[in-house]
Amino acid sequence: MVDIARVQKELQECNKDKDSSGISVKLKGGNSLTHLVGSIPGPLATPYEGGTFLIDIVIPDGYPFEPPKMQFVTRVWHPNISSQSGAICLDILKKEWSPALTIKTALVSIQALLSAPEPDDPQDAVVAQQYLKDYQTFANTARYWTEAYAKSSSVGIEEKVRRLVEMGFPEVMAKDALDAVGGDENAALEKLCS
Amino acid sequence: MDTEDDTFSDDHDVSDDVVSSDSDFTPETNSGDHREKSYKVLSEEDIKRIQDDRIERVTTSLYVSSGVARVLLNKFKWNVNELQESWFTDEGKTRKDVGLAESRKKHVGTKKIEKLDQLNCSICFEDFVCDVRVDNCVLCDHQYCNCCWNGYISNAISEGSGCLSLRCPDPDCDVVVTDELVSVIVGGDDKLRYERLCVRAYVEGNEKVKWCPGPDCGFAVEYDDVVGSGEGYDVVCGCGYCFCCNCGEDGHRPVDCETVAKWVEKNNAESENTTWILVYTKPCPKCRRPIEKNDGCMHMTCRKPCGYSFCWVCLDDWGKHAYNSCNSYAGRVVKENNDEERVKQRARISLERYTHYFERWAANNKSMKKSFADLQRMRDENHDVLLAKHAQSSSQLKFVLDAWTQIVECRRVLKWTYAYGYYLPEDNIAKTKLFEYLQGEAEAALENLHHCAEKELTEFLRDGTTAEFNTTFREKLANLTSVTKTYFANLVEALENGLADVDSGSANKKLKTGSSSN
Ligand SMILES: [Zn+2]
Ligand SMILES: [Zn+2]
Ligand SMILES: [Zn+2]
Ligand SMILES: [Zn+2]
Ligand SMILES: [Zn+2]
Ligand SMILES: [Zn+2]
Repeated sequence: MVDIARVQKELQECNKDKDSSGISVKLKGGNSLTHLVGSIPGPLATPYEGGTFLIDIVIPDGYPFEPPKMQFVTRVWHPNISSQSGAICLDILKKEWSPALTIKTALVSIQALLSAPEPDDPQDAVVAQQYLKDYQTFANTARYWTEAYAKSSSVGIEEKVRRLVEMGFPEVMAKDALDAVGGDENAALEKLCS
Repeated sequence: MDTEDDTFSDDHDVSDDVVSSDSDFTPETNSGDHREKSYKVLSEEDIKRIQDDRIERVTTSLYVSSGVARVLLNKFKWNVNELQESWFTDEGKTRKDVGLAESRKKHVGTKKIEKLDQLNCSICFEDFVCDVRVDNCVLCDHQYCNCCWNGYISNAISEGSGCLSLRCPDPDCDVVVTDELVSVIVGGDDKLRYERLCVRAYVEGNEKVKWCPGPDCGFAVEYDDVVGSGEGYDVVCGCGYCFCCNCGEDGHRPVDCETVAKWVEKNNAESENTTWILVYTKPCPKCRRPIEKNDGCMHMTCRKPCGYSFCWVCLDDWGKHAYNSCNSYAGRVVKENNDEERVKQRARISLERYTHYFERWAANNKSMKKSFADLQRMRDENHDVLLAKHAQSSSQLKFVLDAWTQIVECRRVLKWTYAYGYYLPEDNIAKTKLFEYLQGEAEAALENLHHCAEKELTEFLRDGTTAEFNTTFREKLANLTSVTKTYFANLVEALENGLADVDSGSANKKLKTGSSSN
């Protein structure tokens, strides 16, 4: 049985200072306290700056003695986060979890992870390789993904996709090509034609 | 079975911990051989006693609580001397390494009592009243209500032995949770599980102690030396299971661990070719009706009216077996001229040769397991049946248990001699002959003993007369037991000597004395 009272307190506590921290937690629709959505702002001076990242939170039966299950809903390009599933590789969400930690502290840790990736303990091997071997491309791609998925005004991207579709490329391929080259429309076109 | 008294060594450093009493359980295999070492079978109770004793030694020499002593001993693999040495060299460091940093508590004595009502739990965030029993065994300043301590500790217990080095829930605090706190907080199944994990920690941390690999056995065995590093020797556990202390396979005298490993690997590699050997039914060689093998001995008798009596392994008439066991492998000569045919024939013969040994190894392995179960049954139910029908006291039935113990041991030895035979160089004809002779003699004796203990004894479980049981039958079974024992002792000795008698030229003498005693 989940400790409902504690989760309730956590929600109140967390949302009290959401204006200063930028971190908030809401119910995932319905009124179950076991399925939540967290929101964290991308840290300043990182490729994630300006983005808002949503994180799906499931509170297991054993909470707070077992860690909450968290994964990104917003797509993100980061060595410790799966670019496919949003799964997060972070010790405090696994064996280093302690009941003295909270949903809020976990979200703060995830935010810190965005600032300081740990490519030696990767979740996404492709991203980690890129981070280590070609940091500039990594940063561009991460910035582009933030632009494309983590901003409410991701209109620019829609526009680029639309133009490529008009040129006769299928929408899925157009999106993938833009994803792969970090949003540069010309480079995407080159890739699609090669 | 109670093994409080399964103490096989006198000169061991923990022998004082285990109460010795007179025991009727003295395995035959642990006496008078240079390969035998001393060891001790430990029950859960024995281990608890050893732990309590060492905890006491630590509490009195280091002036710490028993919970702290347990934490320290777990860390030092229950070696009191090493712990003391480390402690007296650098107490601060020793404490710190295990999460016992000294006096983390800021509040002491009267100061804290004022605040007792206003504590706030850092897990559930509720206010609570301090429980002095809990506060007394918490070594840091972090505050959790009993309910949250319970959730935290029982969650850790459910995850396994990590709970023995559990730290304070605060992620920045490395103070350990002692078993005093655990016993205040948890009860019921969690407590039992925790205690079992405490016992396991003694075995798992100790290189000289290993669990018995026997089925459903809860005993551990303590050796004089670190195991797994040297020559193997057979250990008989309190559950009756016999195993090699070095490789963990079941006891494999007189074959060495290396040969056993090679043989097991070979069997795995050949399993596709030999599955047919492991069947439970074969057609009767005479009437073709399927016969199921339910018994341990190889002497099969078809149902009436056929009644044909034959050997399970070679399907030959049992009558012939009395004079000539089927243990020897009569190799065939390659006679094809054509090269390709010759290669094929060689391969076929090599598989045939392996099959010969594997079939007999497997049959004896199965028989050993069956007779081990029979021995257990004899100890439990059948013993009481016989006691009620034919005997005044258990000691009068000792000859039956002796017989079964002998059968189990001999099946095990016989089984491994087939692995030995397979690796015996084929071209050493003198050694092969001596080996097959000794093995055949031993096997024939064992078949007689096994048949007598299995089939003839059944009569007396039903309605055989007490007079006969205590005269003819007792004499016969006891005699077969001792004869079989002698044959196997000779076989084991010869194989452990590498059949050296052949080299010294005394093989013929041996062959003669052997056959004259037959
Ligand atoms: Zn609490
Ligand atoms: Zn603490
Ligand atoms: Zn055992
Ligand atoms: Zn061995
Ligand atoms: Zn028949
Ligand atoms: Zn036979």
